[in-house]
Amino acid sequence: MPSEIRSRNWPWMAIVVSVAVALALAIVSPADTVQGELVRIMYVHVPAAWLAYLAFGVTLVGSVGYLVTRRLSWDRVAASSAEIGVYFTGLAIGLGMIWAKPTWGVWWTWDARLTLTAVMFFVYVGYLALRNTADESRVRAGRSAVLGILGAALIPLVHFSVVWWRTLHQPASLLRPDGPAIQDPLILWALLAGVVAFTVIYVALMAKRIELHRVADRIRDVERSANRPVAGASVTAPELGGGLGDG
Amino acid sequence: MNAGFRSQVAAVVERDLRRERRRGDVVWVTIPFGAMALFLLPLAIGVDTQLLQRIGPGMYWVVVMLFGVLVSVGRASIETGAQRDAVSLLGLDPAAAYVGRSMSAAGLLLVYEIVVGVVAVVLYNIEVIGFPWLALTLVITAVGLGLLGSLAASLVSSSSAGSALVPLLVAPLSVPLLLGATQVYEGLRLGRSILSWMLLMVVVMLVTAIIGVGTARPLQET
Repeated sequence: MPSEIRSRNWPWMAIVVSVAVALALAIVSPADTVQGELVRIMYVHVPAAWLAYLAFGVTLVGSVGYLVTRRLSWDRVAASSAEIGVYFTGLAIGLGMIWAKPTWGVWWTWDARLTLTAVMFFVYVGYLALRNTADESRVRAGRSAVLGILGAALIPLVHFSVVWWRTLHQPASLLRPDGPAIQDPLILWALLAGVVAFTVIYVALMAKRIELHRVADRIRDVERSANRPVAGASVTAPELGGGLGDG
Repeated sequence: MNAGFRSQVAAVVERDLRRERRRGDVVWVTIPFGAMALFLLPLAIGVDTQLLQRIGPGMYWVVVMLFGVLVSVGRASIETGAQRDAVSLLGLDPAAAYVGRSMSAAGLLLVYEIVVGVVAVVLYNIEVIGFPWLALTLVITAVGLGLLGSLAASLVSSSSAGSALVPLLVAPLSVPLLLGATQVYEGLRLGRSILSWMLLMVVVMLVTAIIGVGTARPLQET
């Protein structure tokens, strides 16, 4: 295989391999003694929630990076990560609701973890809405960077909400100071494989989104410069005589 | 805070309050709107006086948060790019401008909280308990909302969707303030400790103030 094709296809190959491994482990892992088959929702819910933390954490890094360096590449990192983060936060909330209905008897409960995750979701929806209000790249980058930093204050609140408050949502299963709380090794591996697969998907999507933002910024700049007068109102462009058919 | 900074903050506060005196946005729009919301809620929920007394404090704080944002929305829609350029050419410290705008907003929000609070007490038959702590909660909430609203107004200034976007930005970020304010009242009513909730509100207020002051200059440059 030529190296150019190999390098262009690596994200897709990595996604296929990691998703296939995660899917296989999710299928062969045993049903949970308490949750039964519902535990399989966790193989997508937990990695999606992990990705939300990762994505919004990277948005924070990109936002700080832009304010320090004023390089638009940092802004593209922040924006791309926020877009992916909003999608996966929505997925985590949606899957959590599907899991909650048979387990808790309700689609939604006013639990600290659930409520704060929904709040975090709306903060980053606001972040994306804010980005749409400014046409000029640097204006958009500067303003959204501030919100990217402010919104990141919610990440530790969401994660530690199950520790700080008595909640219906169970405590963290993987990211614990005393190690994972899951006893069955196959369930643990299935969860970890899901986390790895989603992280690979995140990296691949980030690469694509950053490239798309770069191209969109370039197109916007070209359009803006085309509409701008050459040297003010005192200079007018020369008028060409004759029509196109005059040769 | 040096004398120059203080005088700049005072000048911004004076300008904002003078503008409010001329336009009357808070007095003639936001306060009646909040009072009207408190009046409408029982019509939708049902006029069970015991139920309304129980949920009244929570309803009051929701109305304070949602309609209090209008104080900042009004400002975002008034200030033009030319006005901001003129202010920056005058050499006004962006951090002083942010603090001044937040302080004037906090003052107006405090008036709004008190008037709407009286309406809530009358309509919902709410018991006023633990007055010093309740007064402190009103002040912290007003300052916190003022800081958040001013930051959001700076973020959306001179954009076409500015005034529509401010509530979307402020509402989720004001959730800790809403939680703190409602839990302080519950704590006072049930005789529980309220310090952790007060601390939460103060932390939110300080974090917003630090981010707002720290990013005031980069935001002015955009």
